[in-house]
Amino acid sequence: MFVFALAAGAILLPGAVFAHHSTAEYDMATVTPIKGTVTKFEWSNPHAYIYIEAKDDKGNAVEWTAELASLGMLARVNWKRDTVKPGDPITIYGNRAKDGRTVMRLEKVAFANGQELSAQVR
Amino acid sequence: MVRNRLKSSVVCGTALLFFLPAIFAQTANRSKAAGAPDLTGVWMIDQFHPALFSKGTTPPFTPWGEAQFKKADTLVNDPNLACLPHGIPRLMFVPLPMQIFQVSDMVLIYEEAGNQLRQIHLNRDHRNDLDPTYNGDSVGKWEGETLVVDTIGFNDVTWLDHAGLPHSDALHVVERIRRADHNTLVDDFTIEDSKAYTKSWTASQTYHLKPGWEIAEYVCDNNKYVYHEK
Repeated sequence: MFVFALAAGAILLPGAVFAHHSTAEYDMATVTPIKGTVTKFEWSNPHAYIYIEAKDDKGNAVEWTAELASLGMLARVNWKRDTVKPGDPITIYGNRAKDGRTVMRLEKVAFANGQELSAQVR
Repeated sequence: MVRNRLKSSVVCGTALLFFLPAIFAQTANRSKAAGAPDLTGVWMIDQFHPALFSKGTTPPFTPWGEAQFKKADTLVNDPNLACLPHGIPRLMFVPLPMQIFQVSDMVLIYEEAGNQLRQIHLNRDHRNDLDPTYNGDSVGKWEGETLVVDTIGFNDVTWLDHAGLPHSDALHVVERIRRADHNTLVDDFTIEDSKAYTKSWTASQTYHLKPGWEIAEYVCDNNKYVYHEK
């Protein structure tokens, strides 16, 4: 049964955008800033997600996804379910996925007024 | 009749609510009177160590243990991807807080990870013929200021760390939990599993006290992750 579950997971993984996992899939040595407009803020466990629309080098729209910690941990560093809202212009700073997907593990966000909010509990 | 029953239930309920603080206070006092060291509070790991063996060091694998480790892929078959319980000792290394309670006969560790409750039984031995479980059967005793916890009765589903160290159902974990100072808790682990490792080995985790923190709800199922769609 368990073997079957693993096999099913392995087969379905390419279609799975998100998962509950460790930091192994991110380049933890580099922090990349991406500027864009929030399209969605998913306030969920085990990870919250911010989706933004950014522009690539050629000016084409690209969707970026920032993965955050669990809701309990975020609340401890002053995040709330409406900290970012669709339409907000923000810059997300984080560790990009090693496989080239436009996904990152969020370090912090910077708001239009210059204020920053860390997503990490130190 | 129904009304009378309802009325007596309300009276009983109210009485229970009235006496509950007193019952809890008595339990706490009894524990204190017994002279048990105080480990209570909300604790958080000081540093996250995904792998118990650092690069360049080799776990003392048996051939079976090594073969299991080679199959481990943190992006594919980590049992935690499916939101399964972490098992012991991995549960104690998760970068989420835990709250320790001491009641008569038990030390309880309420983990934010999956909102799991670890029960450490103080006044009994391991039960005979244990069913294998994710977190096993934990019994504890005080040695001076140290709580010594002995856990067996595991299934073989979980990993020992976040990097994929395997174990079998022969896993035996001994923890020595002590308060190094008011703000610091240390858990020293001895891991024994003759099917997966040629000899026992040790690991350690330090925690910091987090006054004012409360354990939050953590249901590892809100994300629409396809792993569940099996």
